[in-house]
Amino acid sequence: MSAEHSLAAGVVDVEARPPSTDRRVVVAYVLAAALLALAPLALPVFAMTLLTEALILGLLAMSLDLMVGYTRLISFGHAAAYGIGAYTAGDILLHTSLPVPFAVLAAAVVAGVIAIGVAWVCTLARGVSFSMLTLAFAQLLYAIAFKWTAVTGASDGLAGIPRTGGPFGLTLFETKDGFYYLVLACLVGAFAFCWSLVRSPFGAVLRGIRENEAKTLSLGYNTRRYKIAVVAISYALGGLAGALYAPFAGFANTDLLFWLFSGQVLIMVIVGGQGTLIGPILGAAFFLLVQHMLSQYTDSWALFFGAIFIAFVMFAPQGIWGLLTGLRRRG
Amino acid sequence: MDFVGFLVTQCLNALSQAALLFFLGVGLTLIFGIMRIVNFAHGTFYMLGGFLGFTAARLTGSFWAGLLVGPVVAGAIGMAFETGLLRRLYRRDDSAFLMVTFGLTLVLGEIIRLLWGVDALQVPTPDALNGIVFLFDEPFPTYRIFLIVAGIVMAVVIWQFLERTRLGLLIRATSQNAEMVHALGVDVNRVRSAIFGIGCGLAALGGVMAAPLVTASLAMAPNAIIDAFVIVIIGGMGSFLGSLIAAVLVAFVEVFGDYYFPDFALASMYLLMLLVLVVRPGGLLGKEA
Amino acid sequence: MALLELDGLTKRYGGITAVNGVTMRVEAGEVRAVIGPNGAGKTSLFHLITGVVRPTAGSIRFDGREVAGETSYRICKLGLSRTFQLTALFPEMSARENARLSAQSHLPRSWQPWGGRSVFAEASRRGDEALERLGLTHVAGRPAGLLSHGDQRLLEVAMALAQRPRALLLDEPTQGLSVEETLSAVETLAGLLTDGSLTVLLVEHDMEVVFRLAKKITVLHRGTVIADGDPESVKANEEVQAAYLGGYA
Repeated sequence: MSAEHSLAAGVVDVEARPPSTDRRVVVAYVLAAALLALAPLALPVFAMTLLTEALILGLLAMSLDLMVGYTRLISFGHAAAYGIGAYTAGDILLHTSLPVPFAVLAAAVVAGVIAIGVAWVCTLARGVSFSMLTLAFAQLLYAIAFKWTAVTGASDGLAGIPRTGGPFGLTLFETKDGFYYLVLACLVGAFAFCWSLVRSPFGAVLRGIRENEAKTLSLGYNTRRYKIAVVAISYALGGLAGALYAPFAGFANTDLLFWLFSGQVLIMVIVGGQGTLIGPILGAAFFLLVQHMLSQYTDSWALFFGAIFIAFVMFAPQGIWGLLTGLRRRG
Repeated sequence: MDFVGFLVTQCLNALSQAALLFFLGVGLTLIFGIMRIVNFAHGTFYMLGGFLGFTAARLTGSFWAGLLVGPVVAGAIGMAFETGLLRRLYRRDDSAFLMVTFGLTLVLGEIIRLLWGVDALQVPTPDALNGIVFLFDEPFPTYRIFLIVAGIVMAVVIWQFLERTRLGLLIRATSQNAEMVHALGVDVNRVRSAIFGIGCGLAALGGVMAAPLVTASLAMAPNAIIDAFVIVIIGGMGSFLGSLIAAVLVAFVEVFGDYYFPDFALASMYLLMLLVLVVRPGGLLGKEA
Repeated sequence: MALLELDGLTKRYGGITAVNGVTMRVEAGEVRAVIGPNGAGKTSLFHLITGVVRPTAGSIRFDGREVAGETSYRICKLGLSRTFQLTALFPEMSARENARLSAQSHLPRSWQPWGGRSVFAEASRRGDEALERLGLTHVAGRPAGLLSHGDQRLLEVAMALAQRPRALLLDEPTQGLSVEETLSAVETLAGLLTDGSLTVLLVEHDMEVVFRLAKKITVLHRGTVIADGDPESVKANEEVQAAYLGGYA
């Protein structure tokens, strides 16, 4: 028996997991969502603000995970999705009386549609060139945002974005807690959508592209079309996150499009655990929490994040979620 | 205004811009071409060069000191980084390099901010080059002439280095077949460290040269990294000649685009890149289609 | 009518002609080998047929339909499946998932972005069947990247078979295998290929393998067909002996 054979014989079948795992996991997620729904009853106001922002960033990071973790399309420009969503929702809420839920959905659609064009261009290239094109596109938007005063308010940004109530006279979303539920609903909905997406036939093809794109193409899949579709979905959900951020913070400015922010979102995905959906949400919460704590002592928190990020990429590429579940499996 | 004079000065403007872009792109393309890795921190080393140039000029009173200090310090940091961290990643996929060097961008950028502060720093033009020459009755800054000359010299030096020297030969051999070079008893790791250091040093050299024109500031890094990648993508990943051609092409499009279509100045570089990618997805002289 | 017809197929890269006016017919149910010394243009020929590269001139008809210049995924969908000279798998997926993903592309709603239980069930059925035909059922649950090299080569064939192709292109299926591995792989393939149910075009270096599996042989030399016929006549061909076999026969 060759060395390779004995190696293979020692390997546990990757499909040997009991079929009940998925159901147990779903139950755990439902419980987690229920806990989050009860949070406003227990947490003080500042903690709720932090939690709301964590969920919004979690949604953004999760949307990027579709590209990075599931398709290995490393985007350095995901701030573009966030910014498009934030400006679109901001403009709708400032200039119309449309209620918040419609505004954020419209913004998500706008981000998704723009993404089709972006993806068409970016997927002309592969690998690193793809990454740099996403960055270049985000920087182009950043520059445009400084010039297109009518839409973006240039360097002043959009301020005083309202959380317009409704529909049908509902004023729920105008309050902070009420808005939190809107954010939670969007996150849960988007999570369920992504969860189903990555387990669908479409998701199987994405996984094929991640592991060997040339082979996937030769098997009869139009991989470029799949990549464009996943970028559009990812941008739409990222746009949704940005659209929630605008009425949450009450403003939208060019910081949301800044390249460092794109990098931070990528950090959330990697540190949290790519290709897991839940990991990036945890990564976003971790990022926000550590930033919050560090910023009380130093304004050089980027230094620490850079170091943490390097450490994770080098020594724990499976991320926080991978470490947690790995420990659980062993223990 | 005399049209010939206008044309000549605009062309020279573009060429000096091309020299700066070439300095920026060539280090990146060298590292990629040989090591097959992408250095996201390239723009940060360029920025580091700008700040080092400022400090060197302040301490010694001479701009020229920066041309030595910048590349040496940046090169040393680059080599240390390659030896300490990147070396452990050669078995991983490309995205690991991209992300680790992005982490380095954050760390190094923050250290630069702590050392030099957030304000843009004016780097004085050396006295010898501080004048203006008249070409066809059009005034033209001497410093830009210097940049063009420096760019040409640098292109020739790098080309000759790759073609003629032992290290250059090793570099090209390593890019072809690292295992074979290793089998011949050459320490591939040292070649890689040297290349990474040289690439970072070239970026810093570009930063030192650019600083008198653009001031040393924290905005240098993001602009530089994008410019550098545009050059490399247009020229074709890893092609030395490609990055030279791309630098000239981008500079001319920028300078003339800026003059004739000022509203689209921003977009001209991106449109050029798009055009190249649609026609030749691997870049002008790239191997991968 | 032949299932696969090449007519004057030519590919030039700059001044180099990799494939030069190749004309060939592969009848349905035929197992044909393409042989030739290194650089004869065998793999280039496969790349042309499967749409990886575009021909400079000439035509490729598959079941009467012109496919020259078509994209590779469309050609695959028409029923032309291939394997690669260098093993190309999804290393982190199990062998079963590899075969399933391969079969999936030929099913309706293969792109469905939700659910997909019925798509997966049918794809798994076809994939498992193909794994069984190649004797890989016992390793189906293991990550493809951890299979032995021999099993990896067979898995590639299984993936192609799972698509239930009308024609199968095998690019050196025993490439890189040890002598024992080659023997067992050839026996497996022989059982599969010799019952006339498959149309196969085979590139192979190993003459033992070629003579064991193929009923017809086309010899390429510097991109040009220099002989075409059954194994005996090819062996006897003097031009072939001069160019390639080097006194083998």
